Amino acid sequence: MNLEELEKQVQLAEDIQEIEHLQRIYGYYFDNNMWAEIVDLFSEEQTESVEIADHGVFYGKKGIRRIYWDMFSGGDTPRQSPAWMQFVVMQIGGVVDVSPDGTRAEGRWQTWLCEAKPYGAYPRAEWLHGYYENKYVKENGRWFFSKLHWNNTFCSPVEDGWLNLPLMGWMPLPDADEPPSAFHTYPYHRNNVLYHYQHPITGK
Amino acid sequence: MNLEELERQVTLLEDIQEIENLQKMYGYYFDTAMYQEVIDLFSENTESVEITDHGVFRGKEGVNRMYAGMVGMKRPGWMFFEVMQSQGVIEVAPDGKTATGRWYTPSFECRPFGGTKKQTWQFGVYNNEYVKENGRWYFKKLHWNLTYWTSFERGFLKVPKLSDTPFPHADAPATAYHPYPSGYHVPFPFRHPVTG
Repeated sequence: MNLEELEKQVQLAEDIQEIEHLQRIYGYYFDNNMWAEIVDLFSEEQTESVEIADHGVFYGKKGIRRIYWDMFSGGDTPRQSPAWMQFVVMQIGGVVDVSPDGTRAEGRWQTWLCEAKPYGAYPRAEWLHGYYENKYVKENGRWFFSKLHWNNTFCSPVEDGWLNLPLMGWMPLPDADEPPSAFHTYPYHRNNVLYHYQHPITGK
Repeated sequence: MNLEELERQVTLLEDIQEIENLQKMYGYYFDTAMYQEVIDLFSENTESVEITDHGVFRGKEGVNRMYAGMVGMKRPGWMFFEVMQSQGVIEVAPDGKTATGRWYTPSFECRPFGGTKKQTWQFGVYNNEYVKENGRWYFKKLHWNLTYWTSFERGFLKVPKLSDTPFPHADAPATAYHPYPSGYHVPFPFRHPVTG
Protein backbone atom coordinates (compact mmCIF):
# COMPACT_ATOMS: atom_id res chain seq x y z
CA MET A 1 0.00 0.00 0.00
CA ASN A 2 1.44 3.38 -0.91
CA LEU A 3 0.82 6.61 0.96
CA GLU A 4 -2.03 7.69 -1.29
CA GLU A 5 -3.92 4.42 -0.90
CA LEU A 6 -3.34 4.51 2.82
CA GLU A 7 -4.68 8.06 3.03
CA LYS A 8 -7.84 6.94 1.24
CA GLN A 9 -8.35 4.10 3.71
CA VAL A 10 -7.88 6.39 6.70
CA GLN A 11 -10.28 8.88 5.17
CA LEU A 12 -12.93 6.16 4.84
CA ALA A 13 -12.49 5.12 8.47
CA GLU A 14 -12.84 8.75 9.58
CA ASP A 15 -15.92 9.28 7.40
CA ILE A 16 -17.71 6.29 8.90
CA GLN A 17 -16.82 7.46 12.40
CA GLU A 18 -18.11 10.97 11.73
CA ILE A 19 -21.37 9.73 10.21
CA GLU A 20 -21.98 7.40 13.16
CA HIS A 21 -21.47 10.33 15.49
CA LEU A 22 -23.78 12.53 13.40
CA GLN A 23 -26.55 9.97 13.72
CA ARG A 24 -26.08 9.49 17.46
CA ILE A 25 -25.85 13.25 18.05
CA TYR A 26 -29.13 13.64 16.17
CA GLY A 27 -30.59 11.13 18.63
CA TYR A 28 -29.32 12.98 21.70
CA TYR A 29 -30.66 16.32 20.38
CA PHE A 30 -34.01 14.73 19.52
CA ASP A 31 -34.39 13.30 23.02
CA ASN A 32 -33.82 16.76 24.49
CA ASN A 33 -36.10 18.76 22.17
CA MET A 34 -33.15 20.65 20.67
CA TRP A 35 -34.88 21.24 17.35
CA ALA A 36 -32.78 24.18 16.13
CA GLU A 37 -29.66 22.06 16.58
CA ILE A 38 -31.30 19.27 14.56
CA VAL A 39 -32.21 21.60 11.69
CA ASP A 40 -28.53 22.53 11.45
CA LEU A 41 -27.52 18.86 10.97
CA PHE A 42 -29.23 18.82 7.54
CA SER A 43 -27.62 19.99 4.32
CA GLU A 44 -28.85 23.39 3.15
CA GLU A 45 -28.74 22.63 -0.59
CA GLN A 46 -28.82 18.85 -0.88
CA THR A 47 -31.50 17.73 1.56
CA GLU A 48 -33.96 15.48 -0.26
CA SER A 49 -36.56 14.83 2.41
CA VAL A 50 -37.42 13.82 5.93
CA GLU A 51 -40.06 11.23 6.71
CA ILE A 52 -40.84 10.07 10.24
CA ALA A 53 -43.41 7.35 10.89
CA ASP A 54 -46.74 8.44 9.40
CA HIS A 55 -46.11 12.18 9.71
CA GLY A 56 -45.70 12.34 5.93
CA VAL A 57 -42.89 13.41 3.61
CA PHE A 58 -41.31 16.87 3.93
CA TYR A 59 -39.10 17.96 1.03
CA GLY A 60 -35.92 20.00 1.09
CA LYS A 61 -34.38 22.10 3.82
CA LYS A 62 -37.62 24.06 3.86
CA GLY A 63 -39.39 20.86 4.84
CA ILE A 64 -36.80 20.23 7.56
CA ARG A 65 -37.57 23.61 9.10
CA ARG A 66 -41.29 23.00 8.83
CA ILE A 67 -41.33 19.65 10.60
CA TYR A 68 -38.68 20.15 13.29
CA TRP A 69 -39.00 23.87 13.94
CA ASP A 70 -42.59 24.84 13.11
CA MET A 71 -44.28 21.60 14.12
CA PHE A 72 -42.13 19.95 16.79
CA SER A 73 -40.77 23.08 18.41
CA GLY A 74 -43.80 25.33 17.97
CA GLY A 75 -41.95 27.90 15.88
CA ASP A 76 -40.76 31.12 17.44
CA THR A 77 -42.84 30.57 20.56
CA PRO A 78 -41.39 27.22 21.67
CA ARG A 79 -43.70 24.87 23.49
CA GLN A 80 -42.58 23.80 26.91
CA SER A 81 -43.23 20.10 27.27
CA PRO A 82 -43.99 18.98 30.80
CA ALA A 83 -41.09 17.23 32.49
CA TRP A 84 -42.83 13.86 32.52
CA MET A 85 -42.96 13.82 28.73
CA GLN A 86 -40.04 11.80 27.50
CA PHE A 87 -38.44 10.53 24.32
CA VAL A 88 -35.47 8.25 24.63
CA VAL A 89 -34.50 6.96 21.18
CA MET A 90 -31.57 4.56 21.28
CA GLN A 91 -29.59 4.64 18.02
CA ILE A 92 -28.43 1.04 17.62
CA GLY A 93 -26.70 -1.18 15.06
CA GLY A 94 -25.54 1.34 12.46
CA VAL A 95 -24.28 -0.06 9.14
CA VAL A 96 -22.79 2.84 7.18
CA ASP A 97 -21.64 2.60 3.55
CA VAL A 98 -19.69 5.44 1.96
CA SER A 99 -19.77 5.91 -1.83
CA PRO A 100 -16.48 5.24 -3.67
CA ASP A 101 -15.94 8.98 -4.30
CA GLY A 102 -16.35 9.69 -0.57
CA THR A 103 -19.04 12.39 -0.93
CA ARG A 104 -22.20 10.42 -0.14
CA ALA A 105 -23.20 7.70 2.27
CA GLU A 106 -26.13 5.62 3.40
CA GLY A 107 -26.86 4.12 6.79
CA ARG A 108 -29.24 1.61 8.31
CA TRP A 109 -29.99 1.75 12.03
CA GLN A 110 -32.50 0.36 14.39
CA THR A 111 -34.03 2.16 17.32
CA TRP A 112 -35.49 1.18 20.62
CA LEU A 113 -37.59 3.85 22.29
CA CYS A 114 -38.94 4.48 25.77
CA GLU A 115 -41.52 7.24 25.57
CA ALA A 116 -44.07 9.00 27.68
CA LYS A 117 -46.51 11.36 26.02
CA PRO A 118 -50.09 12.55 26.31
CA TYR A 119 -52.97 10.75 24.59
CA GLY A 120 -55.99 12.96 24.94
CA ALA A 121 -55.93 13.94 28.59
CA TYR A 122 -53.86 10.96 29.71
CA PRO A 123 -50.13 10.48 30.04
CA ARG A 124 -49.11 7.13 28.59
CA ALA A 125 -45.83 5.23 28.63
CA GLU A 126 -44.91 3.30 25.47
CA TRP A 127 -42.36 0.97 23.98
CA LEU A 128 -41.44 1.59 20.36
CA HIS A 129 -39.17 0.01 17.79
CA GLY A 130 -38.20 1.25 14.35
CA TYR A 131 -35.70 1.28 11.50
CA TYR A 132 -33.81 4.13 9.85
CA GLU A 133 -32.58 4.18 6.27
CA ASN A 134 -30.79 7.50 5.98
CA LYS A 135 -28.56 9.32 3.51
CA TYR A 136 -25.66 11.59 4.23
CA VAL A 137 -23.66 14.03 2.16
CA LYS A 138 -20.21 15.58 2.64
CA GLU A 139 -19.90 19.33 2.06
CA ASN A 140 -16.85 21.42 2.81
CA GLY A 141 -15.25 18.49 4.62
CA ARG A 142 -18.23 17.85 6.91
CA TRP A 143 -21.01 15.27 6.92
CA PHE A 144 -24.68 16.32 6.94
CA PHE A 145 -27.99 14.49 6.66
CA SER A 146 -29.44 14.63 3.14
CA LYS A 147 -32.35 12.27 3.76
CA LEU A 148 -33.91 10.80 6.86
CA HIS A 149 -36.52 8.05 6.86
CA TRP A 150 -37.64 6.38 10.07
CA ASN A 151 -40.38 3.83 10.15
CA ASN A 152 -42.19 2.54 13.16
CA THR A 153 -42.31 -1.19 13.75
CA PHE A 154 -44.70 -0.69 16.65
CA CYS A 155 -45.76 1.95 19.16
CA SER A 156 -47.38 0.16 22.08
CA PRO A 157 -48.47 1.08 25.59
CA VAL A 158 -46.38 -0.67 28.24
CA GLU A 159 -49.56 -2.17 29.69
CA ASP A 160 -50.57 -3.97 26.48
CA GLY A 161 -47.51 -4.62 24.31
CA TRP A 162 -47.11 -4.91 20.53
CA LEU A 163 -49.21 -8.04 20.17
CA ASN A 164 -52.32 -6.49 21.66
CA LEU A 165 -51.86 -2.90 20.54
CA PRO A 166 -49.24 -2.42 17.80
CA LEU A 167 -50.12 1.21 17.08
CA MET A 168 -51.48 3.62 19.65
CA GLY A 169 -52.77 6.14 17.18
CA TRP A 170 -52.20 7.82 13.85
CA MET A 171 -50.18 11.03 13.74
CA PRO A 172 -50.21 12.43 10.20
CA LEU A 173 -49.13 16.06 10.08
CA PRO A 174 -51.50 18.26 8.12
CA ASP A 175 -48.98 20.30 6.18
CA ALA A 176 -46.74 17.49 4.92
CA ASP A 177 -45.86 17.62 1.22
CA GLU A 178 -46.99 14.04 0.73
CA PRO A 179 -48.55 11.24 2.74
CA PRO A 180 -46.13 8.63 4.19
CA SER A 181 -44.46 6.47 1.53
CA ALA A 182 -44.17 3.18 3.40
CA PHE A 183 -45.92 3.16 6.74
CA HIS A 184 -46.86 -0.37 7.73
CA THR A 185 -46.65 -1.16 11.42
CA TYR A 186 -46.53 -4.56 13.05
CA PRO A 187 -47.58 -7.11 11.91
CA TYR A 188 -47.15 -5.72 8.37
CA HIS A 189 -43.85 -4.00 9.10
CA ARG A 190 -41.48 -6.26 7.17
CA ASN A 191 -39.60 -4.48 4.39
CA ASN A 192 -41.12 -1.11 5.20
CA VAL A 193 -37.60 0.28 4.92
CA LEU A 194 -35.57 -1.59 2.33
CA TYR A 195 -31.87 -2.43 2.72
CA HIS A 196 -29.50 -0.01 1.03
CA TYR A 197 -26.56 -2.44 1.11
CA GLN A 198 -25.58 -5.55 -0.81
CA HIS A 199 -24.80 -8.84 0.90
CA PRO A 200 -21.11 -8.55 1.91
CA ILE A 201 -20.22 -12.05 0.70
CA THR A 202 -22.57 -12.85 -2.17
CA GLY A 203 -23.03 -9.23 -3.35
CA LYS A 204 -26.78 -9.75 -3.81
CA MET B 1 5.53 5.42 12.70
CA ASN B 2 6.71 4.19 9.33
CA LEU B 3 4.47 3.34 6.42
CA GLU B 4 4.34 -0.37 7.21
CA GLU B 5 3.31 0.17 10.82
CA LEU B 6 0.71 2.69 9.72
CA GLU B 7 -0.70 0.23 7.23
CA ARG B 8 -1.04 -2.37 9.96
CA GLN B 9 -2.91 0.10 12.18
CA VAL B 10 -5.28 1.07 9.40
CA THR B 11 -5.95 -2.57 8.52
CA LEU B 12 -6.82 -3.26 12.16
CA LEU B 13 -9.35 -0.40 12.17
CA GLU B 14 -10.87 -1.65 8.92
CA ASP B 15 -11.05 -5.20 10.26
CA ILE B 16 -12.96 -4.06 13.34
CA GLN B 17 -15.34 -2.00 11.21
CA GLU B 18 -16.00 -4.86 8.82
CA ILE B 19 -16.60 -7.35 11.63
CA GLU B 20 -19.02 -4.98 13.37
CA ASN B 21 -20.94 -4.59 10.10
CA LEU B 22 -20.96 -8.37 9.61
CA GLN B 23 -22.53 -8.89 13.03
CA LYS B 24 -25.12 -6.11 12.58
CA MET B 25 -26.04 -7.37 9.11
CA TYR B 26 -26.50 -10.85 10.55
CA GLY B 27 -28.97 -9.25 12.93
CA TYR B 28 -30.90 -7.41 10.22
CA TYR B 29 -31.05 -10.51 8.01
CA PHE B 30 -32.15 -12.70 10.91
CA ASP B 31 -34.91 -10.27 11.89
CA THR B 32 -36.29 -10.21 8.35
CA ALA B 33 -36.14 -14.02 8.01
CA MET B 34 -33.45 -13.83 5.27
CA TYR B 35 -31.88 -17.14 6.30
CA GLN B 36 -30.03 -17.93 3.05
CA GLU B 37 -28.27 -14.56 3.44
CA VAL B 38 -27.45 -15.55 7.04
CA ILE B 39 -25.95 -18.88 5.94
CA ASP B 40 -23.77 -17.10 3.36
CA LEU B 41 -22.12 -15.05 6.15
CA PHE B 42 -20.48 -18.21 7.54
CA SER B 43 -17.07 -19.52 6.49
CA GLU B 44 -16.80 -22.86 4.69
CA ASN B 45 -14.54 -23.76 7.64
CA THR B 46 -17.08 -22.89 10.31
CA GLU B 47 -16.47 -24.49 13.67
CA SER B 48 -20.00 -24.38 15.10
CA VAL B 49 -23.16 -22.48 15.74
CA GLU B 50 -24.98 -22.70 19.05
CA ILE B 51 -28.07 -20.66 19.88
CA THR B 52 -29.66 -20.81 23.34
CA ASP B 53 -30.52 -24.47 24.14
CA HIS B 54 -31.03 -25.52 20.51
CA GLY B 55 -27.75 -27.46 20.76
CA VAL B 56 -24.43 -27.40 18.89
CA PHE B 57 -24.37 -27.57 15.08
CA ARG B 58 -20.87 -28.30 13.70
CA GLY B 59 -19.26 -27.15 10.47
CA LYS B 60 -20.74 -25.30 7.52
CA GLU B 61 -22.95 -28.33 7.05
CA GLY B 62 -24.26 -27.72 10.57
CA VAL B 63 -24.90 -24.06 9.76
CA ASN B 64 -26.98 -25.19 6.81
CA ARG B 65 -28.85 -27.70 8.92
CA MET B 66 -29.47 -25.14 11.68
CA TYR B 67 -30.84 -22.34 9.47
CA ALA B 68 -31.88 -24.20 6.31
CA GLY B 69 -35.12 -25.47 7.77
CA MET B 70 -36.07 -21.84 8.14
CA VAL B 71 -35.15 -20.78 4.58
CA GLY B 72 -38.26 -19.99 2.62
CA MET B 73 -40.41 -20.75 5.66
CA LYS B 74 -43.35 -18.38 5.59
CA ARG B 75 -43.51 -16.52 8.88
CA PRO B 76 -46.87 -14.89 9.51
CA GLY B 77 -46.56 -11.11 9.81
CA TRP B 78 -47.27 -11.07 13.53
CA MET B 79 -44.43 -13.51 14.32
CA PHE B 80 -41.30 -11.44 14.68
CA PHE B 81 -37.86 -11.06 16.20
CA GLU B 82 -36.14 -7.72 16.66
CA VAL B 83 -32.71 -8.55 18.05
CA MET B 84 -30.68 -5.42 18.74
CA GLN B 85 -26.98 -6.06 18.15
CA SER B 86 -25.53 -3.80 20.82
CA GLN B 87 -22.27 -2.87 22.44
CA GLY B 88 -19.84 -4.99 20.43
CA VAL B 89 -16.28 -5.46 21.67
CA ILE B 90 -14.09 -6.87 18.88
CA GLU B 91 -10.58 -8.20 19.46
CA VAL B 92 -8.55 -9.04 16.36
CA ALA B 93 -5.67 -11.53 16.75
CA PRO B 94 -2.16 -10.10 16.24
CA ASP B 95 -1.83 -11.94 12.92
CA GLY B 96 -5.07 -10.33 11.70
CA LYS B 97 -6.62 -13.63 10.63
CA THR B 98 -9.11 -14.33 13.41
CA ALA B 99 -11.12 -12.28 15.85
CA THR B 100 -13.51 -12.58 18.77
CA GLY B 101 -16.56 -10.47 19.55
CA ARG B 102 -18.89 -10.06 22.47
CA TRP B 103 -22.31 -8.42 22.07
CA TYR B 104 -25.46 -7.75 24.06
CA THR B 105 -28.87 -8.41 22.52
CA PRO B 106 -32.04 -7.00 23.98
CA SER B 107 -34.93 -8.29 21.85
CA PHE B 108 -38.62 -7.88 21.20
CA GLU B 109 -40.39 -11.00 20.01
CA CYS B 110 -43.72 -12.50 19.21
CA ARG B 111 -44.26 -16.18 18.52
CA PRO B 112 -46.77 -18.96 18.85
CA PHE B 113 -47.19 -20.98 22.04
CA GLY B 114 -49.50 -23.88 21.43
CA GLY B 115 -52.47 -22.25 19.79
CA THR B 116 -51.86 -18.77 21.15
CA LYS B 117 -49.64 -15.83 20.24
CA LYS B 118 -47.25 -14.63 22.88
CA GLN B 119 -45.25 -11.40 23.06
CA THR B 120 -41.93 -11.76 24.82
CA TRP B 121 -38.78 -9.96 25.95
CA GLN B 122 -35.51 -11.70 25.41
CA PHE B 123 -31.99 -10.85 26.48
CA GLY B 124 -28.71 -12.59 25.73
CA VAL B 125 -24.99 -12.45 25.13
CA TYR B 126 -23.02 -13.37 22.02
CA ASN B 127 -19.50 -14.77 22.19
CA ASN B 128 -18.56 -15.12 18.55
CA GLU B 129 -15.47 -15.87 16.50
CA TYR B 130 -14.65 -14.52 13.07
CA VAL B 131 -12.14 -15.51 10.41
CA LYS B 132 -10.62 -13.61 7.50
CA GLU B 133 -10.43 -15.54 4.25
CA ASN B 134 -9.44 -14.05 0.90
CA GLY B 135 -9.58 -10.57 2.38
CA ARG B 136 -13.09 -10.88 3.82
CA TRP B 137 -14.47 -11.53 7.27
CA TYR B 138 -16.84 -14.44 7.95
CA PHE B 139 -18.40 -16.00 11.02
CA LYS B 140 -16.33 -18.94 12.24
CA LYS B 141 -18.26 -19.63 15.41
CA LEU B 142 -21.48 -18.22 16.74
CA HIS B 143 -22.64 -18.78 20.28
CA TRP B 144 -25.61 -16.97 21.77
CA ASN B 145 -26.29 -17.40 25.46
CA LEU B 146 -29.77 -16.78 26.77
CA THR B 147 -30.06 -14.60 29.88
CA TYR B 148 -33.85 -14.52 30.02
CA TRP B 149 -36.84 -15.18 27.81
CA THR B 150 -39.92 -13.91 29.48
CA SER B 151 -43.50 -12.96 28.78
CA PHE B 152 -44.12 -9.28 28.13
CA GLU B 153 -46.75 -9.20 30.86
CA ARG B 154 -44.89 -10.95 33.68
CA GLY B 155 -41.18 -10.10 33.44
CA PHE B 156 -37.95 -11.97 34.05
CA LEU B 157 -38.14 -12.07 37.82
CA LYS B 158 -41.32 -14.12 37.75
CA VAL B 159 -40.75 -16.05 34.51
CA PRO B 160 -37.07 -16.21 33.53
CA LYS B 161 -37.63 -18.77 30.78
CA LEU B 162 -40.81 -19.61 28.93
CA SER B 163 -39.88 -23.12 27.83
CA ASP B 164 -37.05 -25.37 26.66
CA THR B 165 -36.34 -25.40 22.92
CA PRO B 166 -33.76 -28.12 22.15
CA PHE B 167 -33.50 -29.07 18.45
CA PRO B 168 -33.63 -32.82 17.84
CA HIS B 169 -31.21 -32.69 14.88
CA ALA B 170 -28.34 -30.96 16.74
CA ASP B 171 -24.88 -32.61 16.83
CA ALA B 172 -24.57 -32.18 20.58
CA PRO B 173 -26.63 -30.71 23.41
CA ALA B 174 -26.05 -27.09 24.47
CA THR B 175 -22.66 -26.54 26.10
CA ALA B 176 -23.67 -23.64 28.32
CA TYR B 177 -27.31 -22.97 28.97
CA HIS B 178 -27.88 -21.24 32.30
CA PRO B 179 -30.57 -18.59 32.12
CA TYR B 180 -31.51 -16.16 34.86
CA PRO B 181 -31.34 -16.48 37.86
CA SER B 182 -28.44 -18.96 37.73
CA GLY B 183 -25.89 -16.17 38.17
CA TYR B 184 -23.93 -17.76 35.32
CA HIS B 185 -21.24 -15.49 33.94
CA VAL B 186 -20.64 -15.92 30.22
CA PRO B 187 -16.82 -15.88 29.94
CA PHE B 188 -15.28 -12.83 28.28
CA PRO B 189 -13.43 -13.49 25.02
CA PHE B 190 -11.28 -10.40 25.53
CA ARG B 191 -8.45 -9.63 27.90
CA HIS B 192 -8.65 -6.83 30.45
CA PRO B 193 -7.48 -3.74 28.55
CA VAL B 194 -5.34 -2.48 31.44
CA THR B 195 -4.11 -5.49 33.34
CA GLY B 196 -4.09 -7.92 30.39
